[in-house]
Amino acid sequence: MSEIPLVQLLTPEGERVTHPEYESTLGKDEIFGMHRDMTIIRRLCNEATSLQRQGQLALWAPLQGQEAAQIGAGRALQPMDFTFPSYREHGIAWCRGIPPEKWLRLFRAVDHGGWDPQQYRHSVPTIVIGNQALNAVGYAMGVQRDGAEEATMVFFGDGATSEGDVNEAFVWAGSFDAPIVFFVQNNQWAISEPTVRQSKIPLYRRAEGFGFPGIRVDGNDVLAVHEVTKRALAHAREGGGPTLIEAFTYRMGAHTTSDDPTRYRIDADVEVWKHRDPLERVKAYLVRQHQVPASEFDATSAEADALAAKLREDVLAMDSPDPLSIFEYAYADVHPLIEEGKRDMIELGVGGGAH
Amino acid sequence: MAQMTMAKALNEGLRRALEDNPKVLLMGEDIGKLGGVFRVTDGLQKDFGEDRIIDSPLAESGIVGTSVGLAIRGYRPVCEIQFDGFVYPAFDQIVSQVAKLHSRSHGVYKMALVIRIPFGGQIGAIEHHSESPEGYFAHTAGLRVVSPTTPNDAYWMIQQAITHDDPIIFCEPKCRYWEKGEVDLDRPPRGLFDAHVAREGTDVTVIAYGPSVRTAVRAAEAASAEGRSVEVIDARSIAPLDFPPMVASVQKTGRLVVVAEAPANASVASEVVARLTEECFYSLRAPALRVTGYHTPYPPSRVEEEYLPNIDRILDAVDRVMGFES
Amino acid sequence: MWKVAVGDTIALNQPLIDIETAKATVELPSPYAGVVTKLHGEVGDVVPVGAPLIEIEVGGGDAAPLATPAEPATTPQGEGRTAVLVGYGVATNEGAPTRHRRRGGAVAPAPAPPAPITSTAPALAPRSTPPVRLYAKQHGIDIESIQGTGRDGLITRSDVERVVSGGTPRARSAPAAPTGVTRFVGHELAPWESGPKEERIPVRGVLRSMADAMVQSAFSAPHAAAWVRVDASKSVELLSALKSRPSMANVRLSPLTLVALALCDAARHFPGINSRFDDAAGEVIVRRSVALGIAADTPRGLIVPNIKDADTLDLVGMADALTTLVEKARAGTTTPNEMIGTTLTITNVGPFGIDGAMPILPPGTSAIVAVGQIAKAPWVVDDEVVVRHVVEIAMSFDHRCIDGALASSVLAHVGRFLNDPAPALLAR
Ligand SMILES: Cc1ncc(C[n+]2csc(CCOP(=O)(O)OP(=O)(O)O)c2C)c(N)n1
Ligand SMILES: [Mg+2]
Repeated sequence: MSEIPLVQLLTPEGERVTHPEYESTLGKDEIFGMHRDMTIIRRLCNEATSLQRQGQLALWAPLQGQEAAQIGAGRALQPMDFTFPSYREHGIAWCRGIPPEKWLRLFRAVDHGGWDPQQYRHSVPTIVIGNQALNAVGYAMGVQRDGAEEATMVFFGDGATSEGDVNEAFVWAGSFDAPIVFFVQNNQWAISEPTVRQSKIPLYRRAEGFGFPGIRVDGNDVLAVHEVTKRALAHAREGGGPTLIEAFTYRMGAHTTSDDPTRYRIDADVEVWKHRDPLERVKAYLVRQHQVPASEFDATSAEADALAAKLREDVLAMDSPDPLSIFEYAYADVHPLIEEGKRDMIELGVGGGAH
Repeated sequence: MAQMTMAKALNEGLRRALEDNPKVLLMGEDIGKLGGVFRVTDGLQKDFGEDRIIDSPLAESGIVGTSVGLAIRGYRPVCEIQFDGFVYPAFDQIVSQVAKLHSRSHGVYKMALVIRIPFGGQIGAIEHHSESPEGYFAHTAGLRVVSPTTPNDAYWMIQQAITHDDPIIFCEPKCRYWEKGEVDLDRPPRGLFDAHVAREGTDVTVIAYGPSVRTAVRAAEAASAEGRSVEVIDARSIAPLDFPPMVASVQKTGRLVVVAEAPANASVASEVVARLTEECFYSLRAPALRVTGYHTPYPPSRVEEEYLPNIDRILDAVDRVMGFES
Repeated sequence: MWKVAVGDTIALNQPLIDIETAKATVELPSPYAGVVTKLHGEVGDVVPVGAPLIEIEVGGGDAAPLATPAEPATTPQGEGRTAVLVGYGVATNEGAPTRHRRRGGAVAPAPAPPAPITSTAPALAPRSTPPVRLYAKQHGIDIESIQGTGRDGLITRSDVERVVSGGTPRARSAPAAPTGVTRFVGHELAPWESGPKEERIPVRGVLRSMADAMVQSAFSAPHAAAWVRVDASKSVELLSALKSRPSMANVRLSPLTLVALALCDAARHFPGINSRFDDAAGEVIVRRSVALGIAADTPRGLIVPNIKDADTLDLVGMADALTTLVEKARAGTTTPNEMIGTTLTITNVGPFGIDGAMPILPPGTSAIVAVGQIAKAPWVVDDEVVVRHVVEIAMSFDHRCIDGALASSVLAHVGRFLNDPAPALLAR
């Protein structure tokens, strides 16, 4: 993969390997559960892509290739931990228990958020690259001041590490020993730009310069990601300060359904990464090591199909919001311009059922 | 004369500027191999090389901030901000350096750079892809802000902007990118900062810019079917505003409606109304009205039609100014 | 390329075809499960957004046509959209734009016929202020019908008041009605037989100004008068000779033009005539610039606009200035600035067929000249009675500062000018 050290516990072929510092304690059921998670989010992601092609979504950001990174990290979270996603973290949303149709509200353009962030301990999506990194550090500083045993985790991409906000977040986290885990999914691309455009050194090494540890993990190895993240979260909860995790992975699909990757990358690269598929290796391991029968995988697939069908149904049933709803949450307190706008819309016969 | 889309016209305009002056260079996210998310820079890196068509790291402050340095060094950078909603990380550089360095250096530094921003809504996008930030820049002394609305304007205005010595925020109405029109490859239609009567009329003056111009023209067509003659002025230049043709029009019609996607509060639309009220006070037969986005964050695009100035809302304003005295 | 054929049973999301869109080649997954009944379009066809692409019979036997996805296939809104690489795309907006909703929910009325396209230069909107518009509206008066008398034709409150108080609204830019005998203090009086026995006309506007000015002047400046009869035959000849010249075709020359030039010339020789007695300051102010007032009878009554720096004008300049002044006065577009600062005045009573008059001085001036009609009259030349064009020039003056000698000199100067204008004109 590269000479740069990276934590790997399961090879692309499905062999368990050891690492001097990290060892997975997960049993068969838990690993099978992660395979199930990954199968489901891949299936849901495909359904969303189809829905977009069929004109039912404005856009979709697929996560193919990044399932292990997200499920490994998502399953390492404790219920009280708080997470800040960007826009591709469907796997994290799944782990946090958010119903899939809620993730799609944003992409159907009926909502900018879609779920109650306090209920699921998962913040609303951030599309502006890197913004949420600072917000997450601030949240972690609050946890720190409350003396709570909670960790905060923020997700962003390789491209995001160039933004001022992310670098400032590193400064703050380092300076205040904030209980935070920075989880960067290095999927090798920021739309059309390869990671080398953002950094001449491996991203995880950025951390050192800001005064906290960084680690690269095989982002397609769900066991390794899980173990590394679990450790970093515990470190944060115990007051050890921040960690930067670089999940080294690959964006198998287009950046979004609006993208045309054939313009900037060659199939050969994608082929290489196909052999590192995050699901295949777990399946191979489960079959070989734990003799999981094909029927169990079939059951998972059937479950994923059913969830996809349900997702389709839910999305198609998702109506445009009442136009008057745009005024609802612009401010916490009454505001004259909001009242004026509402009146205007109502007089014009828009909204409130007149639509 | 050639038929092309606005995106292609911008591409051709940029190409010509790159040919005309070796100091012109382009910087932005995904503008090289990909040709920009709207393909405005399609093929330019292949022809002008990676030194002149620069795929930048993902940082807008970096794009603008380093362009300032390149400008100090005598280059004429053209920055691309991928979408309106992503210009804010560069806000500090634009307001603190781009706008002020000419003044601070007593004119020694020419801030001859162009910042291209696809702006406005009507494309059914997700959040941050439909905003209208032009007001922030129009408000800032030291900056000029323009917006083409036709392929011909796009082709010429981008070249005029690049050759201009002041920094120019170049707002491209992205919903018009794929609309075709005639481009005169020999002669610019008018100056970079000149307003233009997009449709003549006698009852009401409607002033718009960017993505709202077409909506205003369509509203004028609908009004004509209702027996009303609406004049539409495309401001083209947002800062400075070209008031004389606007004054002449309002003196003729006595009624003014200003249309913009940006919310009205402290906006360009408000500036147009304020100045024209001042200059045409005696001619106005009715209070000038603004039809703009409501005072909320840009909504989910499934309701953008209701949020934006649409034909109904413009015609309603026309009704109100026409009905004021009767 | 089609990946399915007619008769195929297909599953939901089964790839149907590769479509090349603005962004990329994408696979279109079937939105329905069923049997393909029809394919529209061949490989390489350019299919418009929204056009049907395939028909699929779903379960119950209804064929569901699937429209071309332009990214998106069809928007949930169901309207045609053009892709711009992100989002649902832009509404295509085909067809004539129309209104859908109206404020208050009223139904859109049947469209009126299109407004006539006017090719003539559009008229400017009447200029006024909102309070004046409101005032007119409250009195049921159409502001468009009022002739403004303010600066650049501004319709002022007193313009509206005048109409409110009984005056007939005057059409904008309509030619001024000829002044008839039925007009009195700016009002059209009803005929003797049909009008009321007694009619009260409010003293306002122009009438008020005239009354105040005359009272102020008559009871502060002791008026004295002098007059002279002149043989103006050479003036008449000169004028008709000049009028026949092509180069003068557009210049409106009249005896008044010459009188105006003559008076200005006199002022240059006798600046004292161009003075003002300032009682309050205890000074007499002599001015070396003539703002030549011309008493004008207008539809609204008497006004006295002036020509600034009239002493600097030549024949054509003076003629043009007089023409403009009279036209503006008639049209009611005289500006306030043109009404102030008069230093010398001419009142032309000739057109009324009158020989002479003894006018009252406009306030702030010390002399006013009345010009009578130019009529043929017996005249003694070299002890012979001959027929000549004779005009009487009279002058009222403020006897506080102007004595009989000065007044006589000025009158004599004007007389000489009119008697033989050519040398005087050449001397200027
Ligand atoms: C401030 C800002 N600039 C530009 C964009 C447009 N944009 C959206 S995603 C993206 C690339 C992000 O790359 P990366 O951080 O690696 O995340 P990935 O998409 O690979 O998950 C860009 C440039 C944006 N959303 N925000
Ligand atoms: Mg990336």
